Amino acid sequence: MKKFSSLILGCFIISFCFSLDVMAKDKIRIGFSMSLTGIYAPAAEGQMHAYKLWLEDVNKKGGIFVRELNRRIPAEFVYFDDASSTDTAVKVHEKLITSDKVDLLLGPYGTTNAFAAVPIAEKYKAPIFMSTGSSIKIRDLGAKYVWFPTSCIPDRQMQALVDLLKANHAQIKNVAILYLQELYPRENLQFLEPALKKAGIEVVLKKDYPMGVKDLSTLLSEVKAKNPDGVIVLCYAADSFLFTTQAKEVGLNPKFLFELVGPAAVAFGPKFGSNTEGISTMGHWSPKGRWLDAQGFHDRYVAKFNKKPDYLNSVLAYMAGQILEQTVEKTGTLNWEKIRETASTQEFTTINGPVSFTGTENRRTPSMILQWQKDWLEIIWPPETATTRPLIPKPSWG
Amino acid sequence: MEERVLQLIFVGLIIGSTYSLIAVGLNLIYGTMRLLNIAHGELIMVGAYTTFWLFTLMGISPLFSLFLSGLASALLGAMIGQLIFLPAIRKTKSVVVLESNSLLIFFALSIIFQNVASLLWSADIRGYSYLTQIVKIGGVPLMLNRLTAFITALIISVVCYLLLQRTMLGKAIRALIQDREATQLVGINTKRIYLFSFTISFAMAGLAGCLISMFYEITPFMGLPYTITAFIVIVLGGLGNIMGSLIGGFLLGLVETIGISLTSPGLRSIISYGIFIAVILIRPKGIFGRGV
Repeated sequence: MKKFSSLILGCFIISFCFSLDVMAKDKIRIGFSMSLTGIYAPAAEGQMHAYKLWLEDVNKKGGIFVRELNRRIPAEFVYFDDASSTDTAVKVHEKLITSDKVDLLLGPYGTTNAFAAVPIAEKYKAPIFMSTGSSIKIRDLGAKYVWFPTSCIPDRQMQALVDLLKANHAQIKNVAILYLQELYPRENLQFLEPALKKAGIEVVLKKDYPMGVKDLSTLLSEVKAKNPDGVIVLCYAADSFLFTTQAKEVGLNPKFLFELVGPAAVAFGPKFGSNTEGISTMGHWSPKGRWLDAQGFHDRYVAKFNKKPDYLNSVLAYMAGQILEQTVEKTGTLNWEKIRETASTQEFTTINGPVSFTGTENRRTPSMILQWQKDWLEIIWPPETATTRPLIPKPSWG
Repeated sequence: MEERVLQLIFVGLIIGSTYSLIAVGLNLIYGTMRLLNIAHGELIMVGAYTTFWLFTLMGISPLFSLFLSGLASALLGAMIGQLIFLPAIRKTKSVVVLESNSLLIFFALSIIFQNVASLLWSADIRGYSYLTQIVKIGGVPLMLNRLTAFITALIISVVCYLLLQRTMLGKAIRALIQDREATQLVGINTKRIYLFSFTISFAMAGLAGCLISMFYEITPFMGLPYTITAFIVIVLGGLGNIMGSLIGGFLLGLVETIGISLTSPGLRSIISYGIFIAVILIRPKGIFGRGV
């Protein structure tokens, strides 16, 4: 009998300690893996900055409101460098969940690492609020515990681009396509070609080039010789810089110029100055967009880091933070299963407008086309979210 | 058609001139000390950042900061040589052990340089615009900064060649490359030559970084591809053969550019590594063999 009562007492003490632990929760620990070094590091910086800004904004309010505790709890980050290695990213995610026991997770940098983390999320049923990363395969993942806020999914994005060209068919009757031999540009190409064909826009030249290319001038001379109305470059940031420099060098002056990734990078504007005028790129955001706090986010970011946010990575990272925050507030608890349910079904207000998920994909935000106009990236397509009219023909290089 | 051929040759020579500059620097350390500097690319990065900051913060022309970034890298070289490698050379008796140890040290240095740069200046892509006017040579449009980089690289390479061929110091370096023990026997201060080669090699990487920054983007992790290319060039021209590296750089630049234009840019790596493997299989001493 004595034994039994001490067992009861023991159970009582243990459960009391546990409830004390919940009651005493003074921090929401948010974990993520980040490419602080290695090949992804230059591109990942905008994401890291936006995470930090979001954390600061949340903690200024006193933290995230958790209904079951009836108070705001400050958030803190637990993050490790994955050195741009997918293997390491996978290990970091496992460590965050099993050893650091974080409350919630944000996404790592880029599609490859994000996709590698998906099985971990599913295995431990741990929700990860992804930020950067985009591929048509997002919707085929069939995952339940991850959500990608990007609307730059290749099929929708290339359709938006072709719709824009079709609306300007009087000036753009044919295009030349250059593409980088990497997964994402290739995925885009796969949808661009049929869409162009359907729209009756002729492809006069199609050429590829590898990562780390050091010279494009001979290739660009070939493009110039064909004299296309539009040039579509499915590139990443580094080769976008090289392309832009050398397009000017060889005097390639199409009426429409689209560069997939790069023109939205922070260094692009300062480097090319007035030569950016009329260059289009993919995207889904501009500080001038008519969304709550879009300009506010831009200004706070500039004030904190003394540079402009990346219109893709930084924005997606901040959105992921907002979605995480609102999911916790709407759920009222940190229980992963309940969090998953809220994230999958509810709508969230972000600096990019309302977001909701169909499976893992954000279907609510449309794919957009941005264009440099007077030192700003403006949204020029689709008309319902556009901040200004498209500038076609693009002015010649200065 | 003629214009196109001319363009290919120009582009090949321009790219080749940077390859030469980088490879000569790398080969100098290998030739004299049998040390493989896999952190060579990181010094290029340091040179590029020095130029970038001097230009953006103080408006100093990259052509002037050429001297400053060369000097900064040279100092870094002298310091690393004096503090790390001279003691290592003194303590290690076998060349084989020295080679493997130095590889580890340089690998560590490469990681340290990359990450310190990333901490100091963030991993952001950087770039600046300088001499972006277009000049036409034989009907081929070229951006002035690339032309300037080409001419500067050529001048530096020639100066380096003359230094090695015409001065006593150069003769001592060449002697050391040929036979370390015999050099010591005739009374040449090898320690001093080691340090000197280190300093010149680092300075050349810094200069190359300065020139490259005029037209390519800059990141803390930009160095590795240049190190790899430099390895291909020094194998092509012969390990320890400085003149070989000089010509090898131009040769690789031309073969790459023409090869790409005849096939596809996608085959660039296959072309350069193909040459690398072919040279190792057919003529392991390099096209120009060993010697100075």
